[in-house]
Formats: sequence, structure tokens, C-alpha cells
Amino acid sequence: MAPLCRQLLLLFALALALGPAAGLDALGEAEELAAVMAAELRAAGLPGDLPELEPECRRLLTAFAEGSATLSGCLARRARPVRLCQACGGLYRSLLTQYGDIARAVGNSSESHNCAKSILTSDRLQVVVTLSSFFNDTWEAANCANCIKNNSEGLSNSTQEFMDLFNKSLACFEHNLQGQAMDLSPNNYTEVCKNCNGTYKKLNDLYNKLQRLNRHGDESGHSAHLCIDVEDAMNITRKLWSRTFNCSVPCSDTVPVIAVSSFILFLPVVFYLSSFLHSKQKKRILILPKRIQSNASLVNIQEKYS
Amino acid sequence: MANVAKKVSWSGRDPRDDEDERAGETTPLLNGTGPGSAGGARQFTPSSFLRPGQLSNVDLNEDIRELETELPRPYPNEIPHNEKLLSLKYESLDYDNSENQLFLEEERRINHAAFRTVEIKRWVICAMIGILTGLVACFIDIVVENLAGLKYRVVKDNIDKFTEKGGLSFSLLLWATLNASVVMVGSVIVAFIEPVAAGSGIPQIKCYLNGVKIPHVVRLKTLVIKVCGVILSVVGGLAVGKEGPMIHSGAVIAAGISQGRSTSLKRDFKIFEYFRRDTEKRDFVSAGAAAGVSAAFGAPVGGVLFSLEEGASFWNQFLTWRIFFASMISTFTLNSVLSVYHGNAWDLSSPGLINFGRFDSEKMGYTIQEIPIFIFMGVVGGILGALFNALNYWLTMFRIRYIHRPCLQVIEAMLVAAVTAAVGFVMIYCSRDCQPIQGSSVAYPLQLFCADGEYNSMATAFFNTPEKSVVNLFHDPPGSYNPMTLGMFTLMYFFLACWTYGLTVSAGVFIPSLLIGAAWGRLFGISLSYLSKGSIWADPGKYALMGAAAQLGGIVRMTLSLTVIMMEATGNVTYGFPIMLVLMTAKIVGDYFVEGLYDMHIQLQSVPFLHWEAPVTSHSLTAREVMSTPVTCLRRIERVGTVVDILSDTSSNHNGFPVVESNPNTTQVAGLRGLILRSQLIVLLKHKVFVERANLNLVQRRLKLKDFRDAYPRFPPIQSIHVSQDERECMIDLSEFMNPSPYTVPREASLPRVFKLFRALGLRHLVVVNNHNEVVGMVTRKDLARYRLGKEGLEELSLAQT
Repeated sequence: MAPLCRQLLLLFALALALGPAAGLDALGEAEELAAVMAAELRAAGLPGDLPELEPECRRLLTAFAEGSATLSGCLARRARPVRLCQACGGLYRSLLTQYGDIARAVGNSSESHNCAKSILTSDRLQVVVTLSSFFNDTWEAANCANCIKNNSEGLSNSTQEFMDLFNKSLACFEHNLQGQAMDLSPNNYTEVCKNCNGTYKKLNDLYNKLQRLNRHGDESGHSAHLCIDVEDAMNITRKLWSRTFNCSVPCSDTVPVIAVSSFILFLPVVFYLSSFLHSKQKKRILILPKRIQSNASLVNIQEKYS
Repeated sequence: MANVAKKVSWSGRDPRDDEDERAGETTPLLNGTGPGSAGGARQFTPSSFLRPGQLSNVDLNEDIRELETELPRPYPNEIPHNEKLLSLKYESLDYDNSENQLFLEEERRINHAAFRTVEIKRWVICAMIGILTGLVACFIDIVVENLAGLKYRVVKDNIDKFTEKGGLSFSLLLWATLNASVVMVGSVIVAFIEPVAAGSGIPQIKCYLNGVKIPHVVRLKTLVIKVCGVILSVVGGLAVGKEGPMIHSGAVIAAGISQGRSTSLKRDFKIFEYFRRDTEKRDFVSAGAAAGVSAAFGAPVGGVLFSLEEGASFWNQFLTWRIFFASMISTFTLNSVLSVYHGNAWDLSSPGLINFGRFDSEKMGYTIQEIPIFIFMGVVGGILGALFNALNYWLTMFRIRYIHRPCLQVIEAMLVAAVTAAVGFVMIYCSRDCQPIQGSSVAYPLQLFCADGEYNSMATAFFNTPEKSVVNLFHDPPGSYNPMTLGMFTLMYFFLACWTYGLTVSAGVFIPSLLIGAAWGRLFGISLSYLSKGSIWADPGKYALMGAAAQLGGIVRMTLSLTVIMMEATGNVTYGFPIMLVLMTAKIVGDYFVEGLYDMHIQLQSVPFLHWEAPVTSHSLTAREVMSTPVTCLRRIERVGTVVDILSDTSSNHNGFPVVESNPNTTQVAGLRGLILRSQLIVLLKHKVFVERANLNLVQRRLKLKDFRDAYPRFPPIQSIHVSQDERECMIDLSEFMNPSPYTVPREASLPRVFKLFRALGLRHLVVVNNHNEVVGMVTRKDLARYRLGKEGLEELSLAQT
């Protein structure tokens, strides 16, 4: 009775495992292969606890595979211009829950091992763990937590505000550039600079404010990064503004700077000269020691070795 | 007199040399016939014996001037300051214990258990030294960080504002004025309140450990001025560090705690009275210096070795162990307090004021092929260090001669501060080296003319405290600085640092040296990777570290302790070997040109500093030629009036007097019986320990050793002790107070022999006797320190009043 029971169970598991696989074209072949291998193993009469996943665990694993596939697709698609946090936040969160399920889930078998053990720690490679930690690290590095609302979807208010302003300034650039194109002077961006100055300044100030707030919020004071979306948006805008449009031309007042600095550099010369000329040189009063010999005999010592 | 004759035959004079001939003519009596008979007879006539005023170092006396008639120059003579002088204002410490009757009595009285308590007290004191030194270091660090942060923020906001609107010259003025005014305060307190707090303090502590008593060097007032001064000069943006002064601070703390009282505060806590003498105090001071090094660099072992290297003549394993304990406690205290301050309590990962940061073995490892390159860097460091020292020598000489008034010194410091700001500003202004701001850890990024989102790379070097700049140079990823920036920075900072050292502000030279070295080292690394097409020489940070070590070694010429300090500061033992090679090379190359910065300053201060050995070519000199004579002696039972007259003779400042047999017939020379110190005599006079009073039972109690300790270390001057006319006729019995077994040498002992005895035992007075145990002369520190190996062989320094 018992072997039959186990056979049935295995078949059931196999059916479950194959079920979702049939829906995915790409994975189909591999799953098929696995199924064939499992069938062969069974035919060879190997003991029942052969390395096959329980159906529940199989389901969890498949869910994770799907989740990670979509998330990595999202990340890659949103790599340039960087919109990771806005676009892939939901996906990341769901992947986190999936991973959590795997780590927590206990298989329905009466035996001691559970899904976490069989999926996460039973081989050297530990692909699931590696994948999960890759996503975690990427998320950490992007610092997305900084611009997404705590435990809910959507951007935080300040980030939303920043993004709106960013879109506004981009629109402004675009609008004015179209105007420029008719002027037939592609290198002259004065229009853009003049018209979009207000928006750009506002954007810049907001960014600086966010940065300052962030730095204050952070106790230790180090690595105070905003989230990558905001940073990248600002970077693009700044590059456009100062490199492409060449709008931020600071007033270079070289003449006064040279005048003031040479004045300051000149002061020590005056000081040293005047103290050399006017200050009384400090004299030391020599005192002749009382010795049997006179100093002259020492001349001998000196000459002897010269 | 054999050796004297030999000396003449060795001399090998060139007969064509006129100068030499003349010199020879003037000295036949002294070198030819030998002074044993003639000179000796003249010296020991009764008229010149036992006469106040005939004191060994000072000559204002007619008799002696007659002796020196062959010299054409009249004395006293005024000359401009030079390095071949010994100043009279420095005294020796009494490291030698005076084993008089009182001492023996006390030792009998204190039982074994009491000595054990003394031993425990020593450990307690060392722990307290460590803790307090660590706390002082924390205080300096935190205050500097906040004040400097405030200053840089103000200036940065100002620059940012004026970059848009124009008028950057105002920012320059603001920066220069801020710097100058902060430095002015720092300089005023040093120049007017405690001039000994100027500089790094390492030369002074080196002298103290050598056995020279530098006035005021270990006072509480000095500590306060030192700490405030160093904060102000770092905040004032001078090219200085706060590490050197930590060593001085540690030493002052040690001296203060071990005495259990402060004379500056006029408080006596009545504890640790046993340690109130030079011997004990000096041991604790070496522990304090070690604790200071350890707090400054996070290098406890380096601190111990620093004490060993600088003051090792009196050393034993128990003392070493105690010093190590103090060092460890100090770095631990700093560590824990700073970890609490930075919000990650008990992390214990910031062990020193300067933390070189983590050097990963994998990323910054080195291969055997790089060793010759490191050695080459050592050579460069030696040459640059020698250049630094030579320039600083001329500057210091000029300062001593012409800028000696406090107001001038303050003005000079202010000017240097303003110029430092101006140079920094102009460099930043002219630099076009922009780096993206993202991902870099710049504390105060200055944009100036860079595109938005970028910062000026020159500003990370100039617009920052030097400590931070050093760490940036070590650890910023390759490509953070372009070679032009580094080159200009090295050049400018070299001259600024050289100009700054020796100002009347309290500040160290460690960090500026490291910074210069790190800059050119990084430049070197970048050019290497450029030459080798970027193959194996990946990380310029490694070369920055070696450059820093080479430059520092080239300037200060420390060896063992510096290697260990650098090793501990990087936290990477594998760097020990290349750092050692670099420091060794730098020292050898540097010593070929000029001596180390600290030794140079000691010499310029005319301190009678005793090196490890006597000059190598001095064996032909004997005690007879070295010693001062005639000696002012006291009889064992002496008239009070005579003692008072001798002590109050303003032309002399003698501190030790041989005590001879009291023979009523003074025409006869008497044998040596002991040695008594000025401080003891003063205490005796103060307590009126006269024979007559004792006979009349006027003395309430017998004098104890405690009475001598209570007066230590500032014995009242003789003028403050009133002795009436009647009392002058009393007699004073010195026999139970004098040291009955002073060290003596015969007249024929050679200079190296005398020197060895003197140096190894830490003596202050060494009596020269003849065959009949009669006093013929006295050797003191100044008599030995005046012989020095100069460029042309052995030379003699002159004594001078400074």
C-alpha cells in the first residue's frame, strides 16, 4: 500500500510541476527534460525520496522565477534614463514577498525538511539566494527606499514634486529649442537659458534642499545619497544646462581676485623687509666658561680633523 | 700627560696655514707642558678656593680674565644668534637619586607593603594618564571638526553666492580675514601667555626626556594654551596638524597627574607625594608622551617605541610595560568616546586622531617588483625633506634674530594665515580640474567654475582640514585628481608648510609632511601607471602612502617608531617592510645633507642636548679639558653667611656644590665628602636648620625627605629667604643632607668615558678629582654638550646668555 501511495503522490507532484510549465513556452523544454529525468529515475527503481520538490515548493519556485524574470526585464529596460525606483518598485516588492514565502513556507509533507531547505540551501550554487541578493543589492545601491513611500506604492511627496518640476523643465527646454531651430543658429541657446532659468533654478534648489534634508536625516552623515532616479534626472538636466546649452556662465572677475591676492601676497614681503631693516637684531651675550685651557686650543682639534 | 702629548703629535697641522700657526703659538702651555703641574697649582691656591662668585660656568671674574689674556676679544661679547651656542637658561634634571641620611631613614621607615602600594599607584597613574590624554584628544578632534566645518560652510556659501553674481574677491577677503583672525587669537595666546607652547612640542619633550629642564614645559598653563592654540591654528587653515601637539599634551598631563597637584592652580591634592622628584616624574612623562602618540595616530606600540627612541637612556621592562598600558588606555579612551560621539557607540573603529583608513591587501597589495620603486621614492623623500629642513633652518634663524618681539610674531602668523588662504583660493580659482560630484565623499564640494553637479578637484585638497586631505589622497579612486592639480598642490603646500613651521602658534608638522608626501606620491603613482600603460600599477593610493612615509621620514628622521606608527595607522602589517625601506632610505639620504627638523630646532634653541654617544673623534680630550674649574665648594660645616652669599650671587646659577672636609685651616685643600644641591640648601635655609638652633633645642622636629618634596619642583629663589645678620654667623651642618657618594672621575678620563657615565646615569654633576680625592673640577651637561661633530670635525659651542 505504501509504495503505491508514494507513487501516486509523486505523479501528482509531477503533474503539478508540469502544469504551469506548459503555459510558458520558453521554460517548457527544460521542464520537460526534468520530467523525463524524474520519470527515468523512477523507472530505475530509485528510492522514493529522490531529489524532487514537493508540489507546493515547486509552485513557489516557479512564482519566484517569473517574478525575477519580470523584475530583471524591468530593471534593464529602465536602466537609461534611470527610472528604476518608479517603474520597478512594485515588482521588487512582490519578488520580496515571493522570496519570503519560500524562506518561510513549510512543505506539506510530514518529513522534517521544508521548502526553504530544499530550495535555498541544498546545493552549492544556491541560485535563488544569489538572485535574490543581487536584486537586494541593486535596490540598496539605487537607494530607492529614499524616494518611495514607506510600505506603499508610489513615490514620496517630495520626489513627486521633484519629478513634476523635472518634467516641466524638460518640457521648457524642448519648447524653447523648437523655437531656436527656426532661428538657424543651433549653437545659440540664449533663448533657452533665458526662458527656462526660473524652472531650472527651482529644480536645482529643490534638489539641494532634498539633499540637505537627507543628510540631516542620516545620523552618521556618510553616504547620503538620494535615490538614483532623482540623482540621474538632476544629472541629465545639469549636463544639458551647463554643457550642452552652456547656460551657467559664472562671472569670472579675474582682475579683482588677482589684485586682492597679490596685495595679500605682497604683505609678507613688506613685513619681512621692514622687520629686517627696522627691528634690532637680537644679540647673544657670550660667556666665557672657566676652564684650564683657552678656546684657542680647540682650534687644534678642529683643524686636526679638517 | 701621555695622551696630551699624543694629541699634539696627532694633530698633523699644515705649517703653511697661518691661522693654525697662530693658534699653536697661543697654546704651548696648555698642550705642550701639560697643565697638571702649572695650571693645577694656580687653580688651587687658597685665594681662589671656596670663594663665592668663582662659579664654574660663568665668568665675570677678574682672575679668570687674566688667565685668558691671550685672547684678544673682550668678554662678555655680543654676537648674533647662531646655531653654535648653548643657552644658560636650560638646567638639567636630577635623575640621580640623592642617597643621603634622610633617604635612608625613609626607606627604613617604609615597610615592604608600602612599596607595593607605590607600585599600584604607578599603575593607577598610568591609567589616568591614558584616559585623560584620550579625552584631551577627543576634545581637540571634536572642536576642530565643528569649528572648521562652520568656517568652511560659511566660506563655501559665500563663494557659491558670489560665483553667480560676481565679486569673488570678497570671498577671498572673507576667507583670508577669517583665517587671519582665528590664527591671531591662537598666536596671541601663545606669544603673550606661554611661548613654550609654540611649535609641535616634540623637540621640547625630546629635550625633557633627554634630561634638560625646559622652563614651563610641563605646566598646566602650557597644556591649556597648547590645546586652545592647536585648535585655533588648525581651524585657522594653516598648513599644520594637531598630532604633534598631542605628544606634548600627553606629557604635560602625565607630569601633572603624577605630582598630584598643580602649581598653576595652586591646588595640592595631597596624593602621589612619593613621586615628587625628577626621576619619577620623567618616567611618567615618557608614558604621557607615548599616550599622546597613541592617541594621535591610534598607534599604541608606536607610542611606546617613540618614547623608547627619544628618551631611552633610562629604561627597564617594567617601565615599558607601564608605558604600553598607558598607550593602550589612551587609544581605547579616544576610540570609545569618538564612537559615542559619532553615534555608533562601542564600534571602536576610529582609534586615532588621524586615521589613514582601511588599506585592503587585495586591492592595494604590492609585489616584489615595486620594492625598488619604493626605495626610489625614499630617496626623493630624503632630498625633499632635506630641502624642507634647510629652508626652514634659514627661516628660523631669521625669526630668532629679527622677529623676536611678540607683536611681530603675531603679525607674522596672521600674514601666513592670510597668504595660505590667498594661495589656496588662487589655486582653486585657476584650476580647471572638475570631477563629478556623484559618488565622491567630498565634505565641502566647491563648484566655482565647474559645470553644475561637478566640483573643483583642487578644492578637495586646499579647502579642507589637512587630515581629511591626506585621507582623500590615500583613498580617492584613481582619476580623482589630475596630475597638474597634484603637482601645483605639492609645490605650493611644500612652501606653505615650510613657512608655517616655526611660527608662534602651536601646531605640528606631521600632517603637512604626510600631505606633501601623499600628493607627490600620488602624482608619482599616476605617472607610473601612465608610463606603463596602466598595467599593474593600478592604485595610486599605495604610492601616496609611500610618498607620505618618505616625506615624513625625510623631514623628521625618526626610524623605528615612525615605521610602527605608519604601520599601525594604516592597519596593515604587510606594509611594514616597504615603509621601513622607504623610511630608511629617506633618513640615509636626508642625513647626508642636513639633520632632522627636530634636532635642528633643538640646536637652534641652544639646548644642551646630549646625543647617544660622544663625538667619535673626541677620545683625545680628557676630563681636565672638559671640566669647569675652579669649583665653588662648601665645607661640611659651613657658615650660613657663606652659603647665602654663594647662592645669591647673581652672576652664577650653580645648582650643585661639592662638600669638602671642613678643615679649620682653609689654606689646605680638603678631600671630597659629598655633593649638595641648591634646592636642598634652600630648603635647609628656609627651615633654618642651623647647628646653634639645634643646640638650643629651637628646632621643633627633624627635617624629613617630605619637606624637600613639598618644595619640588619650584623651589623658592634665594632672595625670598630672609636670613638675619645674627643667623649669618650660625653654622650649618650639611653632612646628613648631602649625597655622600657622588659620582667622580679622575682627571685623565677621556671625554667619551665621561660622556657615557653622564648619559647612562642621567647625571647632573660629575665631580672631577685628583689622586688625593680633592676636587679639581666639575663636569656638567653644558660642558659635555658643547662638543659636537660639525662639518669640519670636532667643534665647540660657546655659552651664551639668552
